[in-house]
Amino acid sequence: MSRIETEVLIVGGGIAGTAIARELSRYKVDATLVEKGADFGQGITKCSSTIMCQGSNTLEFRSEYHNSRLVWAGMPLMAPLCQELNIPLKKIGSLELIKNQAGMRRPEKMIRRFNEYRGKYISPDVEPLQFIDRETLRSWEPNLDRRYIGALYDPNIAVNDPVRLTIALAENAGQNGVNLLLETEVLGISAGIDTFEVQTSKGSIKCRYIINAAGEYIGNLAQMANADDFALYPVKSYQAVLDKKMGGLISHMVFSSEDGMVSPTIHGNLFFGISPGTQRLGKAHDHSTDKKLADTALRRAQELVPDVSSKDIINSFVGFIVFRNFEIGWHECTVGVSRWVPRFINASIGFPGICAAPAVAREMVEILTRHGLRLEENPEFNPYQKAMPDFSELSDEEKKRLIAEDPRYGHVVCRCETVTEGEIVEAIKRGAKTLDGVKFRCRPGMGRCQGGFCGPRVTKILARELGIPETEVTKKGGESQNLMYKSKELLEAQP
Amino acid sequence: MKLQDVDVAVIGAGPAGMAAAIKAREAGAERVVIMERAEELGGLLHQCVHNGFGLLYFNQDLTGPEYGHRFIEKVMDTGVKPLLETMVVRLTEDRQIGAVNAREGYITFKPKSIVLAMGCRERSRGALDIPGTRPAGVLTAGTAQRYVNVEGFVPGKKIVILGSGDIGMIMARRLTLEGAQVEAVVEMLPYIGGLIRNEVQCLHDFEIPLFLEHTVTRIHGEDRVRAVTIARVDGRRNPVAGTEKTIACDTLLLSVGLIPENELSVMAGIQLDPVTGGALVDEMRQTTVSGVFAGGNVLHVHDLVDNVSWESELAGESAARFALEGKPQKRGEISIKAGTNIRYIVPQTISGQRDATLYMRVTEPEEMVRIKVGDILTKGVRAVKPSEMLKIELPAETLKKLKEETKEIVVDCEKRGGK
Amino acid sequence: MAQENTFICIGCPLGCEVTLTINKKGDVVGFANNKCKEGEKYVLEEYRNPVRTLTATVLTQSSSQPLLAVRTNKPILKTMLVQSMTVLARARVKAPVKMGDVIVANLLDTGADVVASSNLSS
Repeated sequence: MSRIETEVLIVGGGIAGTAIARELSRYKVDATLVEKGADFGQGITKCSSTIMCQGSNTLEFRSEYHNSRLVWAGMPLMAPLCQELNIPLKKIGSLELIKNQAGMRRPEKMIRRFNEYRGKYISPDVEPLQFIDRETLRSWEPNLDRRYIGALYDPNIAVNDPVRLTIALAENAGQNGVNLLLETEVLGISAGIDTFEVQTSKGSIKCRYIINAAGEYIGNLAQMANADDFALYPVKSYQAVLDKKMGGLISHMVFSSEDGMVSPTIHGNLFFGISPGTQRLGKAHDHSTDKKLADTALRRAQELVPDVSSKDIINSFVGFIVFRNFEIGWHECTVGVSRWVPRFINASIGFPGICAAPAVAREMVEILTRHGLRLEENPEFNPYQKAMPDFSELSDEEKKRLIAEDPRYGHVVCRCETVTEGEIVEAIKRGAKTLDGVKFRCRPGMGRCQGGFCGPRVTKILARELGIPETEVTKKGGESQNLMYKSKELLEAQP
Repeated sequence: MKLQDVDVAVIGAGPAGMAAAIKAREAGAERVVIMERAEELGGLLHQCVHNGFGLLYFNQDLTGPEYGHRFIEKVMDTGVKPLLETMVVRLTEDRQIGAVNAREGYITFKPKSIVLAMGCRERSRGALDIPGTRPAGVLTAGTAQRYVNVEGFVPGKKIVILGSGDIGMIMARRLTLEGAQVEAVVEMLPYIGGLIRNEVQCLHDFEIPLFLEHTVTRIHGEDRVRAVTIARVDGRRNPVAGTEKTIACDTLLLSVGLIPENELSVMAGIQLDPVTGGALVDEMRQTTVSGVFAGGNVLHVHDLVDNVSWESELAGESAARFALEGKPQKRGEISIKAGTNIRYIVPQTISGQRDATLYMRVTEPEEMVRIKVGDILTKGVRAVKPSEMLKIELPAETLKKLKEETKEIVVDCEKRGGK
Repeated sequence: MAQENTFICIGCPLGCEVTLTINKKGDVVGFANNKCKEGEKYVLEEYRNPVRTLTATVLTQSSSQPLLAVRTNKPILKTMLVQSMTVLARARVKAPVKMGDVIVANLLDTGADVVASSNLSS
């Protein structure tokens, strides 16, 4: 058991925690981030859709909401952030579909509101919304159901991989001096006069500030510190990823408020899902998918794009959003100091959290400063992150060069996504310790066979690189070993 | 051998690729290469340590490695050049191959002809979209087979298997022998998906419970699988409420179907049959792209490896002929259509000039049937099942009966006695 | 009193469930539900002497190939299969092994040898 002292303790390694950590690493400050899971971004972040820049649909939000402002403020920050961190971000634009004449009023209203907000809440760099007529819609999206008579086009919508962004933020924060501790669960907090004493599964941490970015566990953490009461109202949605061969079916994110949404992903798959609606989760922290939701989502996706078929689904998961308190407002988020415990700062981002994260991180710096933390610029701060090599995207010449440098790039491990041993070793070097960790960094097992072929091979590489037996390699940390016994072990155990 | 001079390039060195390569050499092609992503020839045969291979081809009961060994030796003896640990990542319509390996890096070449023998892959959990959590311990039967028979691990101790395909049943026996407890084999259909031999020798011999007309409706467990819920299904294969039953287990194996591996074929613009998932071919096993042939599970999923070998020999021989003649062979244009109770037929077209071997599968099990190939051939069969392939030989002699203007031959599987 | 045993015939895709009747003295007195003569032969064999080829693996001392595929060189009684595995669990083989090499001679007095069904090169 260790004992650590730090100035700022960030609890939670999701998009909020890592964005804050990375923002803080611009300054000379002793900061530590603890995450109970085996990797970053494996909670709500993993469950969020791949849409990175919200636009027209967030215009529905009330402008007085803190959350709305953060989302709008985050819009122009995302592209430069992804550029610095060297991760792909693809502008695909969205089409909010209109079914009938009555629906025509909405785009007018939204365009009007957008123009009103632009320059006020929304950066003038954000591209304006447009109305698209039936013919244009047809020519842009020939596979769309023919019932739609037009669409509200938002060119700002972009896709990326939220987990990759989170991992990149964490890596960059780590390189710039933030202490990152995985598999470290906070078990108790006692507040002193100037400091907190925090008990974790790996030892105790003394700190002056706590940033509560614990996602769906935000209430549990606040309770430990006798801080705020959070009335969590978890809401479930469903999302599914389709085989890459269906990737060309549509090129924009298409959605309608009654039907679901279908969108290309950054990796060339297709993705569909239904927005959460108001269905409450069966119980807290239940991330399981259910058939009813899956069937509804599929049916709605087919209303939009009739060729979407269940047989092309390669993976599905629950997307979920934890609302703080529906008395205050559905989409309300909290970024602010606890009313009861000084220097305990909650950072719960509502929907859509990924987009708001860069703005939340900036705001956190202001809050900390306001509450007495002296932040001096870190002259050594390096905002840039080396890109993960992506063999499949390279030209023939680049492939040759890379294999000549390191023959492990000539060894294709995952055939569906063309991932090489070189990339997997690099991912492990950068911190992947689990099968999911490797998968989220360089994609082996993300393809149509879902690890059927590469699973045993990635397990072997992980065991070799980490110097552990294969029976200790886990899917996602904890007790998630993929292989429980060595050959003949069960027979020897018999009398 | 310079790659630029290659006559026939075979992609994949499993049973299909090896048979094709050997036959291509025997048929006179001088420079034959076989490209394989694994470290050795043989493909999945290495992990199929059970017996039952070669009963037809060698008239002997061999294990997978033994069956493979005979072909591996012949590949070496006939002077086929193996390119191991080499992954083909590109194939174009004009037969350009792009491949990577650690020795030469990225290589490209254009052989005179190509045989596709990439085999198939297993359907995964995603395709079934089984509700529940996403713990460790859910894997396909073939992946489990590799762990158990090659890598040296047993994935868990209490196993449920979804699907009664052959690999699933064979793994039920293997895991039982390795000391694990197979709690249930769950099959959606009213009959098993694999061979009867495997039902008897893999399930009944070990008293493994088989739940027909059932499916897994939920996976439980956060880190590792803790249990699965199964339920009976109705005629439309939907779970029946109230019939759920939860079985404690730590592992769920999936044996729910195989899919021909045709990413390269699609890349090359080869047309696929939506039913088989493999290329459309004629009786020479030539695809819709001139000079590209296919055989084995990449074409359609076979029941027995013996049939894979035979079919691929045909593809190999045709590829050799194409390479030697150096001019495109005319594709067969008489289409073979699936009629009553026939799910698919390979080849999809024939020329009517040469011997043709038809492989087909039925849609529903039936007893005492008659297979009618247009009006040129009728054959009585005692029983047919979707899990077992039917093979019909159409000698050139028989095909002479075809009327000159024949464009299409319908194959029916009719109940004898009835209409 | 006569005794009835049921067997699924694996001779063809029909999979007849054949009933075999045995009298008090243990003599076979009748078959029912089989659709051909082959079925009787199979069932009789399954009743009198149900044998299977055991196929499995044994551990090796090689790190690059941890397992060696093995089989019995002739079928053994199916009731011996599970017990045989405890014998195989104790075996450790050292390279080189060639296909056909005897790994366990006269497995549990069945008269069958366990032989390598793959190679293990050094």
